[in-house]
Amino acid sequence: MEKLMETVLLMLEGTQITLEIFFITLIMALPLGLMASLARISQLKPLSLLMEFYIWIMRGTPLMLQLLFVYFALPMIGIRLPDIAAALLSFTLNYAAYFAEIFRAGIQSIDRGQYEAAKTLGMTYGQTMRRIVIPQMIRRVLPPISNETINLVKDTSLVYILAMNDLLRVARTIVQREFDMTPFMVAAVFYLAMTFVLTWIFKKLEAHYGKYDM
Amino acid sequence: MENMICEDNVILRIHQLHKHFGSLQVLKGIDLEVHKGEVVAVIGPSGSGKSTMLRCLNRLEIIDGGSIEIKGEFLASENEVGRATYASTAKARELLSCMGMVFQQFNLFPHMTVLENLLEAPIQVKKRNKDEILPEVEELLRKVGLFDKRDAYPSRLSGGQQQRVAIARALAMKPDIMLFDEPTSALDPELTGEVLKTMRALALEHMTMVVVTHEMAFAREAANRVIFMADGNIIEQGAPQPFFAAPKEERTIAFLKNML
Ligand SMILES: Nc1ncnc2c1ncn2[C@@H]1O[C@H](COP(=O)(O)OP(=O)(O)OP(=O)(O)O)[C@@H](O)[C@H]1O
Ligand SMILES: [Mg+2]
Repeated sequence: MEKLMETVLLMLEGTQITLEIFFITLIMALPLGLMASLARISQLKPLSLLMEFYIWIMRGTPLMLQLLFVYFALPMIGIRLPDIAAALLSFTLNYAAYFAEIFRAGIQSIDRGQYEAAKTLGMTYGQTMRRIVIPQMIRRVLPPISNETINLVKDTSLVYILAMNDLLRVARTIVQREFDMTPFMVAAVFYLAMTFVLTWIFKKLEAHYGKYDM
Repeated sequence: MENMICEDNVILRIHQLHKHFGSLQVLKGIDLEVHKGEVVAVIGPSGSGKSTMLRCLNRLEIIDGGSIEIKGEFLASENEVGRATYASTAKARELLSCMGMVFQQFNLFPHMTVLENLLEAPIQVKKRNKDEILPEVEELLRKVGLFDKRDAYPSRLSGGQQQRVAIARALAMKPDIMLFDEPTSALDPELTGEVLKTMRALALEHMTMVVVTHEMAFAREAANRVIFMADGNIIEQGAPQPFFAAPKEERTIAFLKNML
């Protein structure tokens, strides 16, 4: 029992890294993804094409490869980032691309009549997006965003290859040292707890944003 | 002299309005003058370009040729070769703010309550503050009979109620001209009455209205003038009494026969 407590305490430290990557990525990737989606649907062809290219690269290659690239390849051209920054950079760029596609689909699902009503009331494009389209879009994209967010929880474990002591790496270290499988179980419980909390939060958000479409 | 007064009273004038979608010529040179306080009903078969004409007026569609004049100023004017050129963005915005639009599909903002739907444009566009306009807006809601629904979301309202909110929302911007595109066509028959009643009340207050409609009774009783469109042209127009009693054109006669 005491040993289990000790394991859990050790692993809490790993959880810290995991949570740090998770939250910072989310906080940066959501607004970035929104901006990317707006650029993607922009009338400015070069901007839109650039975004399409960015999204294609980010979704078309493994996140693991992107991580390794930022971690090992960038230093070769003289850009050396601290471990955590390298991880955050890759995660943010990658997740922003996924979020951008979700937001784009959400924005494009809003009825044309909403834009027309806003326009005949004299609202500008910016006002229409900010006040009319994006709030409705958020409600619609909550389920896919929730999915991606849960994926992010699990993807954080990829930093393990960068020798960062996240939850999974701490667990493996203990397992190798003590020949005991419990840390893996504990890790699983931690991940499950995080996804449980997230699922709950998104359920609340959906209820909050859904109060208008009964 | 009489002519002069008439001239001054023209609030909306379109001249040789042309619009095409690809190779499809939808409006083939529409000429129309609407006077202040006039209620104009536009009727005609499906696909004749009625909606397109309204949408051109408030710039939901960009016209190809001809001109649109609102309160004596050009929203779009015609250059030497007959192409339309639009006023500057600021000018266009100012002129368009004279017009309110009511859509067949209501197009209320579903994430806002009835009251919020009405407050949105005055606050965002006219930069009025909420306390200042709340009384006006509540008065509008009373007028359309939906004051008790002010905190409801549109999805909780019937189609007729939604359309009345949409009318109030357009009125909240204090337009000089109201455009209606088949405001009752998406409604169950038993709900059209309440919307038409609201529109008749507006007409009695001398609101200038251009109403595309299939409601012949409304056209006959509430309009000052009826316009029959077919194939992108105005075929015939006149005061409702003579228009319905003795239509002159072949196509008008055929259309009216079908409607009754
Ligand atoms: N955005 C568009 N792109 C291409 N064609 C269009 C577009 N909008 C309208 N049209 C075409 O223009 C013609 C006129 O359409 P419009 O909607 O103005 O007719 P309408 O008189 O309002 O008909 P209805 O009574 O069915 O509403 C139709 O043939 C229609 O298919
Ligand atoms: Mg139509």
